[in-house]
Amino acid sequence: MSYTASKTLPYSVELYRQLKRKRTAFAYAFVLSLPILVAIAVKFGPSGNSGGPTRLGSGTTDLIGLATIGAANFTTTMLYFATPFLLVTVIALFNGDTVASEASWSTLRYLLASPVPRTRLLIQKIKVSLTLSAIAVLLMPISAWIVGTIAFGTKPLQTPLGATFNNSVALSRIAIMTAYLAISLLFVAGLAFYLSVRTDAPLGAVGVAVGISILLNILDAITALGKIREWLPVHYAFSWFDALATTIDWSIMIRGASYCTMSGVILYALAINRFAHKDITS
Amino acid sequence: MKIQRLLAACALFTLTLVPVTASAESIITRAISTAPAVSIDTSLYLPSKTPAPAIMIAHGFGGSKDSVATDAKFFASKGYVVLTWTARGFGKSTGQIAMNSIDAEVKDSQALITYLSKSKYVTQDKTGDPRVGIMGSSYGGANALMSASQDARIDAVIADITWSDLQNDLFPQSITDSKESGPFKKVWAGTFFSAVSLQSAYLGECGSFTQAWCDAYRNAAINGQPSTQERALLASVSPRNFASLITAPTLLSQGQADSLFPLTESYKTAEIIKKSHPNTPLAMIWHAGGHDGGFDQSPYLRAQYLSWFKKHLSLEKIVFPTFQFTKTNGSISLQDSTVIPKVFASKQLPITADVQQLQLATPTVAAAYPIGGIPSAISALPGIGSAGALASRVVSTISGFSPALLPGQSGLLESAPLTTPISIVGPSSIKVRITSTTGDATLFFSLVTKSPSGAINQPNGVVAPIRLTNIPATGSDVTVELPSTIIDASVGDVIAVGISSTDQGYELPKLSRFYSITALSPLTYRNVIASASTSKSANFVWPIAALLTLILAAIYIRLRKPKIAPSHEESTALVEVENLGKVYKDGYRAVTDLSFTVERGQVVGLLGPNGAGKTTTLRMVMGLIFPTEGSIFMDGKPVYPGSPALSNLGSFVEGPGFLPHLSGRENLSLYWRAIGRDGEQYLDEVVAITKLGTALDKKVRSYSQGMRQRLAIAQAMLGMPDLLVLDEPTNGLDPQQIAEMRQVLKDYAATGRTVIISSHLLAEVEQTCSHVVLMHRGQLIAFGPMKKILTRNRKSRTLEEIFLELIGDDLVIGKEKK
Repeated sequence: MSYTASKTLPYSVELYRQLKRKRTAFAYAFVLSLPILVAIAVKFGPSGNSGGPTRLGSGTTDLIGLATIGAANFTTTMLYFATPFLLVTVIALFNGDTVASEASWSTLRYLLASPVPRTRLLIQKIKVSLTLSAIAVLLMPISAWIVGTIAFGTKPLQTPLGATFNNSVALSRIAIMTAYLAISLLFVAGLAFYLSVRTDAPLGAVGVAVGISILLNILDAITALGKIREWLPVHYAFSWFDALATTIDWSIMIRGASYCTMSGVILYALAINRFAHKDITS
Repeated sequence: MKIQRLLAACALFTLTLVPVTASAESIITRAISTAPAVSIDTSLYLPSKTPAPAIMIAHGFGGSKDSVATDAKFFASKGYVVLTWTARGFGKSTGQIAMNSIDAEVKDSQALITYLSKSKYVTQDKTGDPRVGIMGSSYGGANALMSASQDARIDAVIADITWSDLQNDLFPQSITDSKESGPFKKVWAGTFFSAVSLQSAYLGECGSFTQAWCDAYRNAAINGQPSTQERALLASVSPRNFASLITAPTLLSQGQADSLFPLTESYKTAEIIKKSHPNTPLAMIWHAGGHDGGFDQSPYLRAQYLSWFKKHLSLEKIVFPTFQFTKTNGSISLQDSTVIPKVFASKQLPITADVQQLQLATPTVAAAYPIGGIPSAISALPGIGSAGALASRVVSTISGFSPALLPGQSGLLESAPLTTPISIVGPSSIKVRITSTTGDATLFFSLVTKSPSGAINQPNGVVAPIRLTNIPATGSDVTVELPSTIIDASVGDVIAVGISSTDQGYELPKLSRFYSITALSPLTYRNVIASASTSKSANFVWPIAALLTLILAAIYIRLRKPKIAPSHEESTALVEVENLGKVYKDGYRAVTDLSFTVERGQVVGLLGPNGAGKTTTLRMVMGLIFPTEGSIFMDGKPVYPGSPALSNLGSFVEGPGFLPHLSGRENLSLYWRAIGRDGEQYLDEVVAITKLGTALDKKVRSYSQGMRQRLAIAQAMLGMPDLLVLDEPTNGLDPQQIAEMRQVLKDYAATGRTVIISSHLLAEVEQTCSHVVLMHRGQLIAFGPMKKILTRNRKSRTLEEIFLELIGDDLVIGKEKK
């Protein structure tokens, strides 16, 4: 019976353990249902038959007002809707629950005593949580595009700034926006994971991560804070909007992506450090 | 401590306050007589260190020296002597307004330079020639340009949102080389004029204007056309006619939201300066502000102005971009739906940019003109013009209707939908043939973009008016200079020349007529190669910082090694516990100086009442809890979290742990795959032990406590490890199962493997174990073979009696645990 530390908790096993959970399915259903619900609301909404499609919201030049133009606009609007809360919650769930739930099931001690080295356990957990998170972020635009195509057809993407992109350009822009969005969520992912290591209550870790994210968003909304806001990772949550310009200015997206990656990596490292010195009493 | 910190903070705060108060106090106010009956009200702001180079800040029309006090304080705080003054005819300064004539306001500026040349606070280049820069916005900007053309003592110039050719601003004519004046820009002219005449109404209809200027305005308002005399007057105050004399480094700043002095004005001045003195440092900024409002970029502009003065007054080595412009179509704030301006920088001015051509697909458009010009198109509104431009953008997005281009009264000479994106920066032009049913024409040209949805975007509502007379029936062929714009058009968009027969801001013809306009040439436009100037280096710094963080984190995780005690090579015991102690973070001491050894083939009972430290000890043996003292060895190898020595250990502590959403079988198989070792798992044997039968394929969630317990013990036995650690394994089992469990453990030990069982039921252990470790309050009280312990005191028969005897009267209820 030979033991090799690098063979413990293989990626496939951990992925299987997580994919089999109802939580995972619910989270994905949650993500998939948003475009469908919005599309139904618009299609069969009370003001839907008064000539032309129902406009979401009162604005006519903002993203929401343009949502019903076609699949590309619908997808962009769904990304906008999903950015501040839905995806944050889902990512916080995948990353915040992963270690804490093992603690709450008492499986953590058996894995660690088997032994799965502590750092190895966390790194495998991080890999799988990030995979699940990336799938969630990808599912959102894919589902929105399909729903949008069925509901509104594929028309060129119209931006709130008056520019129009044909579908191939629009798809590349949506890919950029989705990729940026995924990276910018690394902060929340790292935060939730760090909290997951600190507590044995899975929902506690998820809730606190979402709570902190909301708090930072509130702070970011206070314009009086000025430059300080540039140091809040959530400040860059919507910087993917720059990808809607005719010529993309990458500077803020680069800064946002780098900053969110940095803060995420630091939080992950803190989590690993914390876990390495922790007495497992769960 | 706290008081000291507070004092330090106070001291620091006071220190930061000192320079501010000092600069606020050192303002020298003086009235200077520059000409007979002209007294100029001035303020001299002194920096903390003098002598220093001086900056003269001229104010805008209708203002006074107080309107530029903020700027003055800013530059003074940056180490410059700043002179502000109220122009003649305004505020406390006497004299009459002559619109920056070289005989009036420019003379004032020169007198003020002489004043600075006598000041001990100002750095002097030579006697009578101070180191001085001049800046101003609008009216003040014209003063800066005109003064710089007349006085070589000026060392740097900044002119913002000002005119180059005043006649062309008030009577704009966009036909190249036309001798005729364009339509009167009546709304702006009126706004401009009344800014003075209404303020000082007691002076009569002319206010403090000179008689010549007042007459000129009256005539223009009545005739809609300037006379020869008025043309000469306008020319005498137009920097265009004097810019060839400017030799000082000049920064021309102009706003995009400006229908009064549009971007083209700075373009014209720049052209002349470049042509006359190619080596004069010349830079240009096209910002997002202007007389129509637009976006306030004052912090950015102030920083640029400071750099310009630092470069050319303080002679610091600063790289200043030749041309900077702000795009307002780059990014939008989701918080308040406002556009976030973005600054781009280029090494070339638009005057030197490559000229490119775009074919137009629509050859001809027709436009009607209603009697009296009503209704009129609205391209811009003085002062609030940007609101109009915004409204046009809003409205046009819905329906393709733009208030700047009314249906019937306007047309678009359109390009085909673009196949590649186009950026236009600077003026453009087109040759057209114009016919009119009345033989004369007043038209308003603009460059617009049209998206595939039909939305028309006319940038900033700036139009290029033309006025033509004596048009033959076959039409007149003219080249029209279109407004300078900054346009980004994407694939699928159409670029069009918008032509409107009406515009509310201008004097319009009385009679109705029909026009046709035919494009005779492609659209000629310019584009500069530019890149976003905002923190270009940051584009590299941030990703590098992120990468470094990633690498450092990876290195840290790799290098971080737990403290490991040296191996006990000579040891034959399976488990050695040496002076083990554990104090939890809350100060609770769970285990004290615990030492025992376990040999192969033993069944060891770890006994003690609840709270004796049994579970803590077992968790330390499993590498879950860090001992605060002593160490544990397994097979002579030290135990620590993740220690390979632990791979020989199967465990069951404090209840089972399973994934509730999976079946018992899946749990066992996943656990085996998760613990990562080769070799046989003995699944059938351990499953037989569980006696779960078909329940093994049900979800663990549905199991009873006893079923879970048996499954957990099976999991501990997976792979048949050399050491089995079981914590209270019989809890929750019925008597029959307990009997079976005993047999299982005995059988397990019989194969030469070792079992450690903890229990608080002494009688239970007595029947199973070969050896005993007796614990109480975290301390070892007895350790040895069961038989030896039992026979140690002849009076006692059971383990329980021995235990009670050993601990004496310490086990009194309520005293048992702290």
